[in-house]
Amino acid sequence: MTSKISCQNISKTFETKSGPFEVIRDISLEVKENEFVVLLGPGQCGKTTLLNIIAGLEPPTTGKIFVDEQEVKGPGPDRGVVFQKYALLPWRTVLENVEFGPKIRGVDKKERRELAREYIKLVGLEGFENAYPYELSGGMKQRVGIARAYTNNPKVMLMDEPFGALDAQTRYFMEKEVLRIWEQMKRTVIFVTNNIEEAVYLGDRVIVLSKLPSVVKAEYVIDVPRPREYTHPAFLEMRHLIAEQTELAL
Amino acid sequence: MIAIKRSNQFYNFVSIAGVLLLWQLVVSAGLFGKLVPSPVAVFKEFIDMLQNPIGGRSLFMHLWFSIKRVLTAFITAVVTGVPLGLFMGWNKKVDAIVKPVFELLKPIPPIAWIPLAILWFGIGETPKVFICFVGSFVPCVVNSYTGMRYVDPLLIDMTKTFGATRRQQFIDVGLPASLTAVFAGLQNALSLGWMCVLAAELVGAREGVGYIITLGMDTANPAMIIVGMLIIGAVGAAIAVIVRRIERIVCPWKRGITS
Repeated sequence: MTSKISCQNISKTFETKSGPFEVIRDISLEVKENEFVVLLGPGQCGKTTLLNIIAGLEPPTTGKIFVDEQEVKGPGPDRGVVFQKYALLPWRTVLENVEFGPKIRGVDKKERRELAREYIKLVGLEGFENAYPYELSGGMKQRVGIARAYTNNPKVMLMDEPFGALDAQTRYFMEKEVLRIWEQMKRTVIFVTNNIEEAVYLGDRVIVLSKLPSVVKAEYVIDVPRPREYTHPAFLEMRHLIAEQTELAL
Repeated sequence: MIAIKRSNQFYNFVSIAGVLLLWQLVVSAGLFGKLVPSPVAVFKEFIDMLQNPIGGRSLFMHLWFSIKRVLTAFITAVVTGVPLGLFMGWNKKVDAIVKPVFELLKPIPPIAWIPLAILWFGIGETPKVFICFVGSFVPCVVNSYTGMRYVDPLLIDMTKTFGATRRQQFIDVGLPASLTAVFAGLQNALSLGWMCVLAAELVGAREGVGYIITLGMDTANPAMIIVGMLIIGAVGAAIAVIVRRIERIVCPWKRGITS
């Protein structure tokens, strides 16, 4: 249940009142099965737009996306998305949020509840099944977001700065969690971030995007062995290398 | 000096007692002659009205008549106005068709419809219910529409990534997301309906709270008018409380936000 992704010559220009606004210029990339790819870029760059295009939420101006040779024409359940702002339904409990995907597909209640409970356990939210999102911390909300995406059993996972709104401590912890879950539930992952440390910690490969209009500026295979340590010399070396070559602040 | 921490209830009580006292003082001083009855006189009138029929009907019958008119109009307005507003907010085509007409009619005060209502429907129940309907309908539509328009697009995007159909998006996100705004609309609709029933009853009614007020005017009985006014205020406040209670039951996720 895992796939490869191929983006071919993607560009995106938004038509605004003050004229065309070019966000992405001719980006091509290939993601292998089970690979964890990080899109790294400065605050204002096209990385989220690129992810939205892969998710099918936004059509590219030119270029094509393929997931397992199937062209992407719009959003679909084969690509799970984890949103930066969680996008949980405030009127649903944790359990009801997590079972959303199967519910949309028409899976019967008993079965989807079982499925949801399994993934709630996976992300470590047992005991919070009946809590509403407003009762949860940011980190817990994103666990719900992750569980919801996995419950729908997508072929690929698209994560859009999922920990951008979290404090540093929670962030470290969630990064570890995301790796644990990924190692347990192998999936092709594209993870967007502006944080070099996070990129090096998580990725098999890091693709650095430039400022607008975004192009692929550099690409790094992270061969630091897992589990990675933030203070490991190889880890630090990689961090410095990326920082120096991309002018991204550490 | 001893500082005593007073509860809010204490201040609420002081506020009401203060107004009553001031009222009594003004009347006792004879500043306005007989046109302003004292609080005591109003209370006596109230007791009297509870015991004796007014214009052939008990006070509660009059109240029931007014409430019945408002509720009939309110329910009709909710059943028609809320779906209309929701669909206008959800579907751009429906919006484009309905909005111009609605925007034109919206600013007309419901009371302005009274002459037409009487011409069209005579002086029975229908014109009164119609006026209340006009008053209730507008907030039902406006709030449902606004609620739907302000649905977070991120939530809609989220449902799309799960392959939700347009219909599923409406039911699973659009409706619940608009619910809070719809409830605010219901609250407004009831208050407006309650105001309109009064206006409608001031013009040619034989029963209802509005009739009591007109009767008070015709018989030069200001105490009766004031009792009528106070009843209107009390019922209006009770309506607001009831709707808020219902909202808390229907939208349990709002509890964390409001409290």
